[in-house]
Amino acid sequence: MNDVSMVGLSHKSAPIGVRERVALCGDALRDALTALRARPDVDEAMVISTCNRVEVYVAGPVSAARSFFVDRCAESVDHLYVRESREAVRHLFRVAASLDSMVLGEQQILGQVKEAYGVASASGAAGAFVSRLCNRAFATAKRVRNETQIGCGASSMSQVAVELVEKIFSDLKGREIVLVGAGKMGALSAKALASLGADRILVTNRSPERARALAEQVGGFSRDWAELDALLVAADVAIVSTGAPNYVITAEMVQRLMKARRHRSMCFIDLSVPRNVDPKCADLPDVYAYDVDDLEKVVQTTKEARAGEAIRAEAIVEAEVMAFVAERDQRAALPVLAGLRRKAEQIARTEAERTLAQIGASLDDKQRKSVEAMARAIVNKLLHVPTARLKEAAASGDTALPGAAAELFDVDNNDQHSQRPAADSGHSAQVLSMSEKR
Amino acid sequence: MQDDRNGCAGEEGWPDGGGIDFMSVWILRFAAALYLAAAAAYVFYFARPRHTRAASAGYTLVGAGFLVHAISIGFACSEFRGAEFFTLRGGLVMIAWLAAGGFLLLIRAYRLPAIGAFITPLLLMALVPGLFAQPGQSHGIVPEVVRLPVLKLHVIAATGAVGLFAIAFGVALMYLLQERELKGKRFGALFSRLPSLTALDRLNQRMVRSGFVIYTIALVSGTLTAKTAWGRFFGWDLQQVISLGIWLLFALMVQLRHSGIHGRKYAVLTVVGFVLVMGTMVGLRQAPGLTRHEGSYAADRGSSS
Repeated sequence: MNDVSMVGLSHKSAPIGVRERVALCGDALRDALTALRARPDVDEAMVISTCNRVEVYVAGPVSAARSFFVDRCAESVDHLYVRESREAVRHLFRVAASLDSMVLGEQQILGQVKEAYGVASASGAAGAFVSRLCNRAFATAKRVRNETQIGCGASSMSQVAVELVEKIFSDLKGREIVLVGAGKMGALSAKALASLGADRILVTNRSPERARALAEQVGGFSRDWAELDALLVAADVAIVSTGAPNYVITAEMVQRLMKARRHRSMCFIDLSVPRNVDPKCADLPDVYAYDVDDLEKVVQTTKEARAGEAIRAEAIVEAEVMAFVAERDQRAALPVLAGLRRKAEQIARTEAERTLAQIGASLDDKQRKSVEAMARAIVNKLLHVPTARLKEAAASGDTALPGAAAELFDVDNNDQHSQRPAADSGHSAQVLSMSEKR
Repeated sequence: MQDDRNGCAGEEGWPDGGGIDFMSVWILRFAAALYLAAAAAYVFYFARPRHTRAASAGYTLVGAGFLVHAISIGFACSEFRGAEFFTLRGGLVMIAWLAAGGFLLLIRAYRLPAIGAFITPLLLMALVPGLFAQPGQSHGIVPEVVRLPVLKLHVIAATGAVGLFAIAFGVALMYLLQERELKGKRFGALFSRLPSLTALDRLNQRMVRSGFVIYTIALVSGTLTAKTAWGRFFGWDLQQVISLGIWLLFALMVQLRHSGIHGRKYAVLTVVGFVLVMGTMVGLRQAPGLTRHEGSYAADRGSSS
């Protein structure tokens, strides 16, 4: 089954320095695909290139796929992994289903694989086989998403923050977010929270320059540190990440603020270590305060849940790989079976006609029909076991037997099912397995 | 509701055949089956939020149940000649019907199908006495003297208000559960399936406010009826006193809203209010003689003239 090969590197095998040197997009990607396709030993090709992985899939030998990396960056060779045949199919299915991603179950990768297929298809590098392979991969990814909970839950602290705020306020339309302190995590969370439609983001920091810089970065406005109390009265979500070693926001302060807010609900997300929001704040009515540990706990739960779901997802992938390979092999066996049957029927018909031509005059219609039936019956009985064996072999992935059968019975594979002459490959089984290619 | 009163005013009660033989009860059972299916669909949706079709199926089933329920009420009107709605059983049937209607409107307006898992079981619970109890024992035909247009208004408004309070009760429970998850930092299955605090709080408040308005109508029309039936607008009847208390509680809630009371306290008040409403509705009918509201018009007919 030397049909599909994959050579690639990913965040698991290669450092970013190597990944960025082989990553491709746009015209460069199209050129690379054309170059791959131009090789005589490559029938079809597809390149998945994202920030976390570069993988080359070819309908052809491993060496062809490897050349893609050797040409681009010699040192990448040490970081490559190679998958062949069924393993390559499984790898693609796992990648599409986000089982190989840095964050298990993330949604982006499926879109990226779809895009890779789109580019390969548009540039003529992907044909019928890659198309079938990819469609099966997409279907697998969809099944995994629908039948397991692998995509559920928040997988990063900012996502957890968004989910929490969403469960308190629904959305942030008409509300303000205030960023207290200029920590990097705070900025990330504020950006993520902007997706909930907050009116504006206000940034306050002890040093006004950093507040201004951060405000620019998150598309908000900077405010004086002295205004902190007023800001907290107006805003509904406060993200706190200062470098202060003590509580910047104390329970007494929040109690006072809540009165001024007329007890409108307030959410504090404290991303600083050591903590800047007094944990006692969480006990006040209508105040929802979470620290890094709370968020991390959710991320951890999600990770564990996803890891558990991954086991179920792997089972789905395995089933889909088996189904795909079996289907492909059956396709491979079909031409042999059809040719064999056609040839045998031809012989039966010719022999029956010859016999009838000699003795036909003395026979009535019923007897003629008996002779024809006998010829057909002999053919059917003789072919019954070989047919069954060939189907079995195809279903179990054995391509040697169909090849042997073709040779043994001298069947021409080049019928309407296979559009490619069986000449340019030494082993007929190989040809059979790829016979659907153009 | 009492269209046939003219023809039957002279009769005393109805045949003691038992509830089983009444057409309206059979139809009501069919409606209850539809509600049960709807509740199952909504609970399934709550457990597996990915299956949004279960929620739409639940909505359709509640709609179908609502229609069948209406037919049952129509039959009940002709079978029991209006007296039906002066019993606990009939009252609950009516409340469930109006609550189902309110629920349908609510889902259309707010698109929070998760509340279906909390409201539809309440509907079913309200229907249980209607399915198995003998309809309308004892009280007999509603006397001519209280058959005023304002009485119809009173019945519909009272049951409608209780229906809205029932929905508010379900929503308030959801709020308390979600608040517990958020405060306790337990982000489990409930957390992800329940709507946000703000959405639940807003919904609860609207249900309480509209329930209060309709309850006011019920109170006023009830007082007018009391004048005709009992001779006095307010006679310190236990039902009247407690109803006034409940009205004051909900009036307080509507007022408190303006001074910023919301969230947990509001949800707790809603639950307390609804428990009081149901408690009086069921409780006052258990001991005869506690209130004349329970249906003994005949005893007071003399004093009304």
